Amino acid sequence: MREKSKTHVTLIILVLTILGLFLANRYLDAYKIRIINLSGIYVTLGLSMNLINGMTGMFSLGHAGFMAIGAYTVGILTMPVSMKQMNFFMQPIVPFLANVEWGFLPALLAAGLIAALFGVLIGAPVLRLTDDYLAIATLGFAEIIRVVFTNTQSLTNGALGLKGIPNYTNTWWSWGVALVTMWFISFLMKGTYGKAFLAIREDEVAARAMGINLFKHKVMSFSFGCFFAGVAGGLMAALLGTIDPNMFRITLTFNILLIVVLGGLGKIGGTVIAAVVVTVMMEALRFLDESIDLGLVQIKGIPGMRMVVFSIILIFVVIVREKGFLKRTKGRELTYVKN
Amino acid sequence: MKKTIGLLLLVLVLAIASSASAEVIKIGVFEPMTGPNAAGGEMTVEGIELALELRGEVLGRKVEIIVVDNKSDKVEAANAVSRLIEKDKVVAIIGSYGSSLSMAAGDIVNKAQVPTVGCSPTNPLVTLNNPYYFRVCFIDPFQGTVMANYAVNELGAKTAAVIQDVTQDYSVGLSKYFVDAFRELTGNQNSIVEMSSYNTGDQDFTAQLTNVKNKMPDIVFAPGNYGESALLIRQARELGIDVPFLGGDTWEAPEFLSIGGVAVEGAVFSTHFTSEAPVTEESEVFLAAYREKFGREANAFAALGYDAYMLILDVIEEAGSADSQAIRDGLAQTEGFVGATGVITLDANGDAVKSAVINQVDDGKFIYLTTVEPF
Repeated sequence: MREKSKTHVTLIILVLTILGLFLANRYLDAYKIRIINLSGIYVTLGLSMNLINGMTGMFSLGHAGFMAIGAYTVGILTMPVSMKQMNFFMQPIVPFLANVEWGFLPALLAAGLIAALFGVLIGAPVLRLTDDYLAIATLGFAEIIRVVFTNTQSLTNGALGLKGIPNYTNTWWSWGVALVTMWFISFLMKGTYGKAFLAIREDEVAARAMGINLFKHKVMSFSFGCFFAGVAGGLMAALLGTIDPNMFRITLTFNILLIVVLGGLGKIGGTVIAAVVVTVMMEALRFLDESIDLGLVQIKGIPGMRMVVFSIILIFVVIVREKGFLKRTKGRELTYVKN
Repeated sequence: MKKTIGLLLLVLVLAIASSASAEVIKIGVFEPMTGPNAAGGEMTVEGIELALELRGEVLGRKVEIIVVDNKSDKVEAANAVSRLIEKDKVVAIIGSYGSSLSMAAGDIVNKAQVPTVGCSPTNPLVTLNNPYYFRVCFIDPFQGTVMANYAVNELGAKTAAVIQDVTQDYSVGLSKYFVDAFRELTGNQNSIVEMSSYNTGDQDFTAQLTNVKNKMPDIVFAPGNYGESALLIRQARELGIDVPFLGGDTWEAPEFLSIGGVAVEGAVFSTHFTSEAPVTEESEVFLAAYREKFGREANAFAALGYDAYMLILDVIEEAGSADSQAIRDGLAQTEGFVGATGVITLDANGDAVKSAVINQVDDGKFIYLTTVEPF
């Protein structure tokens, strides 16, 4: 009975999302559509990071690196051949990529798969580390990716970046991927794998004693997370139409971490809400940067004011939320927090 | 009754507000006002605001500029431009400091057909294949070529070493065109004796400099951020490399002098503008106004912001219309526009063909050496 009503809720959410997107595409301007797209991409990013950090309890800070891999894969694969010649005016692109022009779906899948492959390659040695050490190793990896992309002129066009990536991303793509991610992660968490992830998060030693293969599950969770990070990176590249290595700095990872922490570690619904709220708020608060005209008095705008206010709101939310949520999450604390 | 009066008042206020705003011509500005590029963005906005003060009206209508911050971030830059177009309904846009931020706006302005004038993005990709993007600065290929010319013709250099910041697009671009031009001018494929790279944020350049020292070049070309470049030159002097150092427009910052100290004496760089030798009458107007408003000498970024604004206003006046399409068409035909940074003609790509200025550090100050005309 309970299972059935849950299916109903899922269906209702699905129908409402589709209806909402349909109406949005019809009535909203390009600016609002852009924010909706971004929200969808951040939902995917938040969820994928939550799978690694929140649900499996691995403190990874490598998300920007995996996004970069996805973004460059989509960028290079979907870019028209003539545009490639234009972009690579300093050094011609490597011959085997010069004449490829893929559709968006295969390129997105490739982006996810390559990111996941790197996830496995990096994960295999690095996931033996725990806590802060894992954080440092993954952070280092993300920086290495960025530096490599800066130096491989004939593959990524180096610091010049890529321009003219076709704008395939629309609300259907961004939210479609977000919904698939939501569905996949909740499906995963319901099954034995999900239970194993949670067990690892709670106590690695106990999990191992219960017969859970730590290494296998950690790598699995990590590479699934990387897959979606890569796909989201690809969506981002197609939304902006241009990418460069400097986009994928550590601050990008922190933006996603903010969403994860705000939404609640290990919570799917919370992450979705946090992703949308954070993305929309940054734009909605823009009026704070502008000059305010009160008729008689004019207050000159201070650029960056919205960030200050945004931070204050964040602090406030975290304090209030912690008080309200602490009881419910007690006993499900992360291992690295508990230690 | 009270409600009716209230409603009437509201309608009245709205009517006045809307009738007033219908007359205003809105020009959007997106610049990095926060984040790592904030200094450059701020200087540019200063120039634009000054221009607005001097010329706040065109075709008998008031001009309003709407400044939005792009946080030195590509995603934010795209959002900011989209907001200017959709929410503020601007007819033209100015921005941005930083080529990668400008490129993020490229697709959006192209699709929405709103003409955009960049002040200082020098990466050739910014305007490429985009009929709605223009710029009032020269591009990296030109600057690199100018410096190679100067090195060969004025300094009589036969060999050169290049040290580039591999994470900065302009540094990579400048180096590439410098190398090409230098090889051609000297007629010697081996005239570049050393080519090495570093990353933004590096503090120690001894490895690269030791290599350079062993090759004994006549000059060193090292375009990069002012901070790293100043450190690099200091360390070079400590290692005993006493050949001239050449660089690009980014060196024109007070910090370059304060970090470099005596080591940067004699360093030569190309830039857009100099406050010392006004290039046009417009430069004098700009310099005087800037001095009066801010109480200090103007720099290239403020001058480029000023030029971008003035160019758009000139075009609106000429076209007799503040319609986006008319502005774009007008901009595309720009020829011989007299700005503070020189006489600007826009080529088929929308890039400015204009003269470059070569400055030198002398006695802790930037002094003007020469002006190089476009070829």
